[in-house]
Amino acid sequence: MVTLQHTWIPYLYLYGVGGLFFLVGMIIIRKSGSIDLRRKSHRMWNRVLIFGFFWFVVMHAILTYAALNW
Amino acid sequence: MDTFHNIGTSTDWIVMVVYFMAIMLFGSYFGRYTRNTADFFFGGRRFAWWLIAMSIVATGVGSHSFVKYSAKAFEHGFSSSMTYINDWFFVPFFLFGWLPIIVYTKVRSIPEYFEKRFSPSARFLATILLMLYMIGYIGIGFLTLGKAVLPMLPEAMTMLGTSFDITLMRAIIVIAIITGIYITFGGQTAVIFTDLLQGFILIFAGLFLFALGIDYLGGFNIFWNLLPVEWKLPLAHYNSPSSFNFVGIFWQDGVAGSIGFLFMNQGLIMRFMATRSVNEGRKAAAVNILFMLPISAIVVGNAGWIGKAIAVADPSVVSPNTSPDQIFVVVASIVAMPGVFGFIMAALTAALMSTVDTLINATAAIFINDVYRPTKQFLQRKQKVKTVNEKKELFAARIASIVITATGVLAVLAFKNFPTVYEAHGFFHSTLTPPLVVAIFLGVFWKKFTPAAVMATFIGGVALMMLGARYPGVLIAPFDHGIVMNPDHPYSYIRALYNMLMCFGVGVLVTFTTQIQKNVVASFKKIGNHRQIGYGIIGLNVVLFVMIALNTGSFSFLMSAAIFIVLTVPVMVTYFGHYDEAYHTVGLTSWTMETARERFKGSKVNDREGEIVDLNWKIADGDGDIVRLSENDMKRMNANIGDLLYLCDKRKWLGGLKSIHVVFGTPHAEDGTIYITDEQQKGGMFVTGRLLTAEKEM
Repeated sequence: MVTLQHTWIPYLYLYGVGGLFFLVGMIIIRKSGSIDLRRKSHRMWNRVLIFGFFWFVVMHAILTYAALNW
Repeated sequence: MDTFHNIGTSTDWIVMVVYFMAIMLFGSYFGRYTRNTADFFFGGRRFAWWLIAMSIVATGVGSHSFVKYSAKAFEHGFSSSMTYINDWFFVPFFLFGWLPIIVYTKVRSIPEYFEKRFSPSARFLATILLMLYMIGYIGIGFLTLGKAVLPMLPEAMTMLGTSFDITLMRAIIVIAIITGIYITFGGQTAVIFTDLLQGFILIFAGLFLFALGIDYLGGFNIFWNLLPVEWKLPLAHYNSPSSFNFVGIFWQDGVAGSIGFLFMNQGLIMRFMATRSVNEGRKAAAVNILFMLPISAIVVGNAGWIGKAIAVADPSVVSPNTSPDQIFVVVASIVAMPGVFGFIMAALTAALMSTVDTLINATAAIFINDVYRPTKQFLQRKQKVKTVNEKKELFAARIASIVITATGVLAVLAFKNFPTVYEAHGFFHSTLTPPLVVAIFLGVFWKKFTPAAVMATFIGGVALMMLGARYPGVLIAPFDHGIVMNPDHPYSYIRALYNMLMCFGVGVLVTFTTQIQKNVVASFKKIGNHRQIGYGIIGLNVVLFVMIALNTGSFSFLMSAAIFIVLTVPVMVTYFGHYDEAYHTVGLTSWTMETARERFKGSKVNDREGEIVDLNWKIADGDGDIVRLSENDMKRMNANIGDLLYLCDKRKWLGGLKSIHVVFGTPHAEDGTIYITDEQQKGGMFVTGRLLTAEKEM
């Protein structure tokens, strides 16, 4: 019997706690001026960073759904 | 548990020997690009992102190896991949914090950063912790190599009439000798290019094995349907079993491991430092984590998945009781024909050797930079002479590589009794990364973080960690998320959370109480013989730390001792040390990145975008790094005199192997031509008649 403890709870924990670390990182690099959104290349990097996060969010969601339903 | 020997045929051994010889020859060819210690360790800061991204694959796959992931894949299924797909959370910190800082501050090692940011004593402790981490990592690498090769070897061998058993340690010693010889004569450029080749081969070999396994089973649908649902889930069960659970591995690998790998794996950092610019380093890291790591997860784990499917379909072919650490070799030998099996094993072992090579090279870099040079400078100050001998340093680096290889073999003893390499690695990461990870993190992103706080993190944090290791049921249990404690290996993974919280807590507490420490020191100085008392307190701290390490005393006494250390170390650091926050933070934290860039360049940064131009080159007399371009070419590039320029052979596939960093000098009138010196031509290894690509850096 597959329980939530094996499916969506780890998923939520991963992207909840991990997402918090990611968010803090994004805020710190913006606030500190390390990433400067006035620069074209940095705007691209900002998009890459956000894309990367959702890339893995979607990847894990699809894999979990596939394991349960396919 | 079923274990195996003598797997493979003589054809496989011939293929393996040929493969190794080819790889060593390939590496030796690039060894000629090593001229000094900068090349030996850093490859001369010149490579393109794609070359480094690919070369990191071999390092990453090697360290998170076929053996350990196949083992967990066999035991638990697709969730073996989760450690490859949880690294993105700290990428913002790395790409726009640590990476530019280490490049722009021109530090050659992580401990050197600690001296610039904090103090020489912080560098000293960072060196000890980092050397322990790196040597432990080498030990894990050798253990994995031994476990990978052992199933292929006979149980005993007769040589010169003497028969002897082939044990894990004996196999490791022979492997270490081969590895040591290679790294000693190669250097970073050789490692980068060997890893580049092996990155491609590894991915091919891993995916090829997967295809062979699927074919063996009769197709993907059969494979998919043979696996139980639990085996197909990408994340492990939240908190059980204790040997493999999601929450423990999240903190051990997703947090401590990810930060450790990105921030304090000197081998990986040196690889990023070998890229030609910070932006190329960012590209290499992003592509590697976004795309190469998920592919690598399949590459390293699929043998376990296939093994599980075969075990379900026909347990007589693969027994469910097969030793997990041997499943990769067992499955590869079943699904691949002789020769192909040898090729797959060669790719696996060569990748592991690459990882170990990288780590040995990196540890030697730390030794030269943080032990050899400071000691030499100290002795020269005493003798009042000052000489820098590149040849002597290069020789010392090579000797250091040999000694580190031997120490790495000894480190295997600390890990070989864990049930699997995975658990040994998990325990290792949880235990050795937290103090340095927390110190680097707070140092880079928090200007207020003081030398007193970093020293307290290193000493007090480690004291509390040691207490946690001694009394896990009392100290780690409150953080266990419901994981049942295994008395033989208590909280192998979740201890990372406790350890990080202790180090982080000490660092933050001490930083927030900086003013109190100053007040205490001011009062302390009013006491008559305060200096002697200060030495006495340091001595007492040493005694208490040793008592905690040796577990001599009751829990309450040792806990009190740890608290005493946390409280008094910062006061003593404040009393004996001198710290100027502005001097030690400007250009050294993420909050002052522009200053770091200006210091790197030596003048105001020019960020105006310009064209990349192709140029013919001519030799002319000149000084140092200065080159001369035409006024029109400089206009096209939006460059000023004094700006930094990256000059590279136009052939992109060389990945920057033939390139140099130079500085714009006064312009001339000959468009399309650059004047370089004879020395610069030799440094870039530019070929007569070949065009150069010139790109303004900043």
